[in-house]
Amino acid sequence: MSAGRMSSSQIRMVSLVRREVNRFMKIKRQTIGGPLLETFLYISVFGAALGTRIHSIDGYRYIVFVIPGLIMMAWALNSFANNSSSVLQQKFTRAIDDQLSSPASPAQLLWGFTLGGFIRGLIVSVLTFLVASVLLSLPVAHPLVLVPSLALVGLFFSIAGVLVGVRAEQFDDVALYQTFVLQPLIFLGGVFYGASLLPQPWQTLTQFNPVYYMIALVRYGFIGYRTANLGLAFIFLALVTAALFGYAYSVFRRGRYLRS
Amino acid sequence: MTAALEVRDLVKRYAGGFEALKGVSLDIGAGEFFGLLGPNGAGKSTMIHCITGLARPTSGTVKVFGNDAVRGYRRAREAVALAPQEINLDIFLTLEETLDLHGGYFGMSRADRRERTAELLEAFSLTEKRHERTRNLSGGMKRRLTLARALMHRPRLLILDEPTAGVDIELRLELWRYIEKINREGTSIMLTTHYLEEAEQLCDRIAFINHGQIAAQGTIGELTSGYGVSTLEDAYLELVGRQELSRSHIQDAVI
Repeated sequence: MSAGRMSSSQIRMVSLVRREVNRFMKIKRQTIGGPLLETFLYISVFGAALGTRIHSIDGYRYIVFVIPGLIMMAWALNSFANNSSSVLQQKFTRAIDDQLSSPASPAQLLWGFTLGGFIRGLIVSVLTFLVASVLLSLPVAHPLVLVPSLALVGLFFSIAGVLVGVRAEQFDDVALYQTFVLQPLIFLGGVFYGASLLPQPWQTLTQFNPVYYMIALVRYGFIGYRTANLGLAFIFLALVTAALFGYAYSVFRRGRYLRS
Repeated sequence: MTAALEVRDLVKRYAGGFEALKGVSLDIGAGEFFGLLGPNGAGKSTMIHCITGLARPTSGTVKVFGNDAVRGYRRAREAVALAPQEINLDIFLTLEETLDLHGGYFGMSRADRRERTAELLEAFSLTEKRHERTRNLSGGMKRRLTLARALMHRPRLLILDEPTAGVDIELRLELWRYIEKINREGTSIMLTTHYLEEAEQLCDRIAFINHGQIAAQGTIGELTSGYGVSTLEDAYLELVGRQELSRSHIQDAVI
């Protein structure tokens, strides 16, 4: 569709997303380059170094086992970090008033902020995947499971990032969630190992970590490794993402934390 | 003719219980240049925020050209613009992007945005800086860009919250000329300022607000005669109860 034929509402939506993409592209060394380097450091350490000790997990090469989780982690962390920082920065400088006093609806504002981080996570993950595919011939066993699962994971953490940014009053608040909630959940969700390797009670406790199911879905999508009840895991992920969006929408509709 | 702004019994109570507006009613006619004067903390900014959607009224109504600011917020916000007192430019954007995105938020087509951006950058002598990031601008340029951004979507009611606070004399006069021009072209204006000279120069009518209530409103002549004084400054001092600061008292004391 050409720009000339877009409705006012579509132009508004595109502009809100453009602002967010514009922001992270202006600082792409930090927002794209940094996370890419970080992911490849993980691959080097866990693949090259640990991989020589741990040859395989349930028949899969260790490095191939780890990369799906790393791709998912990159999408999740980048979506979250992008949106929480972007919203908080705009709240600090009050630049957000430009969007808030525009005719954009609460849903448009929420989607605009959400998609910014989603797209950044997508870029980092796709680049990681492309390089990993070239280096290691990473398979994509079940794309019909992989693509929707990754998209839902990206969406979930994008919305979570927006919510944290909206509620945060200082950068410390954002760091708190990222360092003390998100990273432990992701690391303990099984990015670097299979839950079957853990002793009890950790093996059971892992099953209470929602990220465990996200990683299970993504790993199945890439390499076909089946652990949890994946059908149930997908439904659970979709419901939790929808519920989080519903909550975020109610926050935007009432203007809580944004409009005085 | 529909009023540019119609505020009725507007109450704004914040979460902590502080009542910033206590039933304000106000009308601004289409094409009018209206001044809102009052001391800091009187409720000016809260009222502006209720009009532009940055604050949610507790009760009462706000209508911009007949469109309810809450129930019909899309049309109301299309008709109004705010140039805020505190510069709130997006530090990641260039000047051109600032105007272009603002136009986008208001649904303007790409061709229209391009044309309007060029026109405003030229009008505010910012064309040469169009590819610079906003954070690299001088204070005066930031102030001009803030006004240009407010005008981008061609608002019918422009709210200027202390537009000349802290600017040099040349820029103040330049901004006055520009504001007068757009008012002559039909844009209704609501101005808040602490410079009484500015209000005298520009405004058709003025309202005094204090402690969240409109204390008086009318032309300068009506205000001065209402307070039984001869200047707007003296009328203002009556409003805030600081008559002892009046220049006439000081002059009398010197004589």
